[in-house]
Amino acid sequence: MRNFEDDPTLEDLLTSDQRQRLNQMLSALCRKPVSIGKDRSNGSVALEFNLETVGWLSGGSCEQERLAVADLVSFLMMFIAKYRLAANLHHDTTEASYAELQKQNAALKASEARYRALSDQLQEKVDEQVAVIKQAQMDLYESARLRSVGQLAAGVAHEINNPIGFMSSNLKVAGDYVNDLRERVPDSELNRDLLDDFADLIAESSDGARRIASIVSDLKTFSSIDQADHTLCDVNDLLSSAVHLLQTEYGHGVDILEKPGELPKISGHPSRLSQTFYNLLDNAVQALKCRQQGAGAEGWSGRILAKTSVDDGGIRVVIQDNGCGIAEDIREQVFDAFFTSRPVGSGTGLGLTVARDTARAHQGTIQIDSREDMGCRVTLFLPIR
Amino acid sequence: MADHSPEDNKLALKVVFYGPALSGKTTNLMQLHSLLNPQRKGELMVLETRDDRTLFFDMLPIGLKGESGLDLRLKLYTVPGQVQHDSTRKAVLSRADAVVFVADSQTGQQDNNATAFGNLEENLEKVGLDIDTLPMAVQFNKRDLPGVVGDTELQQRWADTPWAPLQMASALHGKGVLETFRVLLGRLYTEVDREFALATGHGIDRDTFIRQLSAASEENRA
Repeated sequence: MRNFEDDPTLEDLLTSDQRQRLNQMLSALCRKPVSIGKDRSNGSVALEFNLETVGWLSGGSCEQERLAVADLVSFLMMFIAKYRLAANLHHDTTEASYAELQKQNAALKASEARYRALSDQLQEKVDEQVAVIKQAQMDLYESARLRSVGQLAAGVAHEINNPIGFMSSNLKVAGDYVNDLRERVPDSELNRDLLDDFADLIAESSDGARRIASIVSDLKTFSSIDQADHTLCDVNDLLSSAVHLLQTEYGHGVDILEKPGELPKISGHPSRLSQTFYNLLDNAVQALKCRQQGAGAEGWSGRILAKTSVDDGGIRVVIQDNGCGIAEDIREQVFDAFFTSRPVGSGTGLGLTVARDTARAHQGTIQIDSREDMGCRVTLFLPIR
Repeated sequence: MADHSPEDNKLALKVVFYGPALSGKTTNLMQLHSLLNPQRKGELMVLETRDDRTLFFDMLPIGLKGESGLDLRLKLYTVPGQVQHDSTRKAVLSRADAVVFVADSQTGQQDNNATAFGNLEENLEKVGLDIDTLPMAVQFNKRDLPGVVGDTELQQRWADTPWAPLQMASALHGKGVLETFRVLLGRLYTEVDREFALATGHGIDRDTFIRQLSAASEENRA
């Protein structure tokens, strides 16, 4: 590439048209025609520009005339060259500036892309953190709830265990006394009826005391007050205490069919599993109630099935009901925290959320199959590790 | 870089007058044009703008013939000093063989001097030249004005650089211009002689080189 400062040639300074016109104009001024050419000929005079001979002037009437014309041509060429030099330099610098601008533009674009990627990542990171915080909040809420239930249960169990203990013992002794009385009181129809009734009363009371003791024991299991976080647990036992607790709460009118399978013990959080089973069973009871209050409940009886089995290297817990099912439009939201379909104040909206989180905490899964007004089946799968 | 064409026996060298805006680069060149009477001298080409500020450059070609018939040319260029003409400065600076840095002696202009010197260093690097090896002379101009930084202070400040001693000038009055140019020619000769064997190959020794290219008009007349 030529540089702006390279010495110009005759062609650079004058096109052949311009050279011809210049020849004509100069010739008009001279006594004899003159001509500007690239080659030296006899008697021609050098045309200089910047100490450089760019051409030769021939013709004219005498040496003096040629020299005068050559001076004039050099003077003209000075201005042509000035323009050329300025134009070339301007062209060079404009191109250089443009190239520089393009380079800067490319660098800017690259940096913009980098920042855009960074900002996208930032949003992701924020979302991630928000999810973590949400989760932590929920865990906290749940554990606080469990703790208070546990404390309450522990208190109740402690307070009830003693009186129930001496009541059971006293009732047993009282039963023996009734038998002793049979031998001591005169044998008459009235006395016999009275004593039989007395024995029945004591037996029923004994049974009641035993049931109270069993409820206390279930409460203890449920709240896991005496268990560490991670222990080997018997899923059937946990499920069974949840069922008992639920039956205690709702009365024995709820028809729950337990079908426990042979299960190995698995390592897990007994309190969280109990809570989960309780939540699922409670949902089932609510679904039954809901359907019973609805239309067309004649001849229908609500049933809940609680089944466990070993399957695919894990324990499968199925809790199934023939209640009202889950409406199609809310099925997506049932696992969302604080979502509830129940009236304000009666549901926390955390039942299934806790169930899902518990399943995840055990590397397991939870699946819901439901048809509206037909029933619902929740399958909890807990891998054996 | 020196433009040497052995077939024409021609050697063209480029000297660039660099420095902050309004430090007197064009004045230096105009004074050289009127003071110098070298073997050969071309027309001074001034690409001035309306307000007399240099937009592109000014150029003065001078030359001498060696005993071997070597046609040696020196093209003296100035650059526009204003900050915004940096790409023009870079284009003119490219392939330079020597630089005269014209600084402004006024106390208030010292920051501009430093900025322009930094710019020179940066642009030399961009066009592939090294300020430490390029022949260079530093001139402090406008010594005639009041409120200039003192000689001794300036000389002391530059004492440890390769460009000491500094040249003091008042270009407007033609003082120090030729002296600066001669110092530069001396430094330029060392480099060019090493590359093109001016003394042994073409019969141009240091004294001839400096004297012929910087002959003053008065001296010649005298």
